Amino acid sequence: MLSNLLVQLINGIALGSTYALIALGYTMVYGIILLINFAHGEIFMAGAFVGLMLVTVFKVHIIFAFLGAMLFCMIMGVIIEKIAYKPLRRSTRLAALISAIGVSIFLSNLANLVFGAKPTTFPPTEEILFKIQTYELIAGAQITNLQILTIVTSAVLMVCLQYFIKKSRIGKAMRATSQDYDTAALMGVNVNRIISYTFAIGSSLAAAGGVLVGIYFGVVKYNMGFMVGLKAFTAAVLGGIGSIPGAMFGGLLLGIGEMLAVALGLSSYRDAIAFGILILVLLIKPTGLFGTQIQKKV
Amino acid sequence: MPLLELNEVTIRFGGLIAVDSVDLVIEKGEILSLIGPNGAGKSTVFNLVTGIYPPTAGTITYKEQRLNGKKSYHINRLGIARTFQNIRLFPELPVLDNVKVGRHCRSKASVFGALLRTPAVKAEEKAIEQKALECLELMGLDHKKDEAAKNLPYGEQRRLEIARAMASDPELLLLDEPAAGMNSTEKKVLVEKITSIRDMGLTVFLVEHDMKFVMGISDRVAVLDYGRKIADGSPTEVQKNPDVIAAYLGKEVV
Amino acid sequence: MGLLDGLLPAYYESILITVGIYIILALGLNLITGVTGQLNLGHAAYMCIGAYTSAIMSMHYGMPFIVAILAGGLLAAAFGVVIGYPTLRLTGDYLAICTLGFGEILKSVLYNVPAVGGAMGLAGIPPKTTLTIVFIVMIIVIISMVRVESSRFGRALVAIREDEIAAECNGINATKYKLQMFSLGCFIAGIGGALWAHKIMVLQPRDFGFLKSIEILNMVVLGGLGSIPGTILGATVLTSIPEILRFSSEYRMLLYGALLVAMMIFRPHGLMGGVSFNSIAKRGMRWLKPGDKPDDKPGQKGMGG
Repeated sequence: MLSNLLVQLINGIALGSTYALIALGYTMVYGIILLINFAHGEIFMAGAFVGLMLVTVFKVHIIFAFLGAMLFCMIMGVIIEKIAYKPLRRSTRLAALISAIGVSIFLSNLANLVFGAKPTTFPPTEEILFKIQTYELIAGAQITNLQILTIVTSAVLMVCLQYFIKKSRIGKAMRATSQDYDTAALMGVNVNRIISYTFAIGSSLAAAGGVLVGIYFGVVKYNMGFMVGLKAFTAAVLGGIGSIPGAMFGGLLLGIGEMLAVALGLSSYRDAIAFGILILVLLIKPTGLFGTQIQKKV
Repeated sequence: MPLLELNEVTIRFGGLIAVDSVDLVIEKGEILSLIGPNGAGKSTVFNLVTGIYPPTAGTITYKEQRLNGKKSYHINRLGIARTFQNIRLFPELPVLDNVKVGRHCRSKASVFGALLRTPAVKAEEKAIEQKALECLELMGLDHKKDEAAKNLPYGEQRRLEIARAMASDPELLLLDEPAAGMNSTEKKVLVEKITSIRDMGLTVFLVEHDMKFVMGISDRVAVLDYGRKIADGSPTEVQKNPDVIAAYLGKEVV
Repeated sequence: MGLLDGLLPAYYESILITVGIYIILALGLNLITGVTGQLNLGHAAYMCIGAYTSAIMSMHYGMPFIVAILAGGLLAAAFGVVIGYPTLRLTGDYLAICTLGFGEILKSVLYNVPAVGGAMGLAGIPPKTTLTIVFIVMIIVIISMVRVESSRFGRALVAIREDEIAAECNGINATKYKLQMFSLGCFIAGIGGALWAHKIMVLQPRDFGFLKSIEILNMVVLGGLGSIPGTILGATVLTSIPEILRFSSEYRMLLYGALLVAMMIFRPHGLMGGVSFNSIAKRGMRWLKPGDKPDDKPGQKGMGG
């Protein structure tokens, strides 16, 4: 029982670290333009497919496939923002949200038409990466090298992001814009460019998550973005939407919680549990664990 | 017994004390103006009275009832109606419907009443329309009743807000910078309208920036600076008060 | 009863029934999202509750159809209250996510409960839905919506959509009204679901997912959020055109996605934004009385905001 729990805990950390990668995109975009970017889950899905295509069709090495997927989605994220959100920046938030949902529906059905409704399988891990090995830890817990790779890659990307946000000029401008959009614009921050950067970074992280999930589970499917996207959004809300450390923490927490539910034999309810957590957090502490209170303006 | 009484009312937003133990009394039938530099907390006082913010400390009493903790819609029903500094109309609704909404707390048809459209509901609808038209006429807007509120010019939007507030038959009318952005002719019309509202027996409490406007219309003036009340009295007294002059013109270096 | 049945070839009659049911469903959503401005991404969940409830009523308890329909509507409304009470205090997008989450939870529960058929679903529902019944229910719903719109209740809902704080300061208990409106919208969705169940005769949880909610949302958005004639038009167009053109479902959803984006950018108030039956009637009166000048154009007042 204990060993099973520990196994699921490690599975949860691996899954949670990918949620965290995707949650960052939601939180960054929400922090700046107060939009739930519904299409973010589909960018994750696109990242997984692009990585897969690069490996299988173009026979590219997995590392370049990984980077290629990130680059592709970076561009895709920026284009989506320009087409579907930018024209709506001065209209109601309802309009922008509906537009985001439209993009999401469009992209997943486009993938359905291009790749079909059946799941596409990733080549076996030993062909593209390495042979799966399992290491024994204490108390019967196990970790695979694939899990280590997933966790380490996610962690490295998140550390890079944190460094970028804290130290770089663009990162500072991003933080300024998320605190006060209009004032940042008045202070000479090119807000449009900052928004593009935000979408570019968020989307490339989602693509990284997509490739990692693709390798980890071995399959990709046109509608994989919907559920994972919603869970990543849940993670972002759990951590406090707008907060970058919150998104990382929320991702891990959600991944672990989901896997513990599996360990407890509730696997057929795992999606319901994730949504239950989301609704409870919104009702009890809508600012999440790391979020700050926003004073209503009159 | 004063109509409205604020007793050591304080509100904090995090570290900022926006209103700092303010005492204020409004007598029935007077026009009281609350003035002060930008950010002095004038609109916050309105938001406290109308239940948008709950006070951190102190009591607000209206006709011997505590308003602390009461919701905005309840306070409106008790007889307090207001306008907003940054005009808050229902922009897509026609002018007439904006005013009809103001009548809400004095009507009572339920969802089921609306579905069945009983004679009582029909009669009430008629009465609402009648009242709304009266209020529009009072503010000189009856000829614009079918236009969408968002299409009115600025000065008329301000007057429409007053008409909407009047529709609830308030005893106390709170006007938040009613003259803001108006030219001198429009201001003159507004002074007449506010005076005639007072002559109808209403009490008017207003927040204003425009000194000339305030001094001409008010029975009494209170001055707020950094959340504290620094003066309270007749317009001429307040004008001579050295603290008020300092607050407006900046303190002299001694 | 049955005046309208059998007048048309079965295929067209079936399309008309579908159109009628979607008009009912979309009008329920229009009340919630269009009139009151509370984005509901889980409308299909309430349709689902109505469908399952009525199906069980008909199949296991042998209830008359009218009782089954009302039971479906009432249970959906009850769920609306239970879900709406805590969530309607949330602002726009958080509410949207909660409604979506509830829909997905419901779906996942239905998958796992063998008593309602699990993933296999419920089969063998008696085909009681006729064109006449759908038409009558639709007319009742339309009249009800028009009456609500032109009442103090309806004005209060629009006031909440336009500016909640101003509405509260004008005596409107926004939370109470939002809850009443939400449960009424859910009631209508439940009735639509009940009619649907007795038309298609088989219910599966996956038919009531997020995409179904989006399909209904699309009808309201295309017609014009808040406009009753617009919603009717939107539901008619989006139900009948794909049916007649025999679109495959992938292409239809692709189109729906693009349509949502395009509508928001180019015509956020839909095809008939700001048009109500009252404004149509007023316009009609002007045409009949040539002395009056048609000085305002109701068809354009909702534009661009």
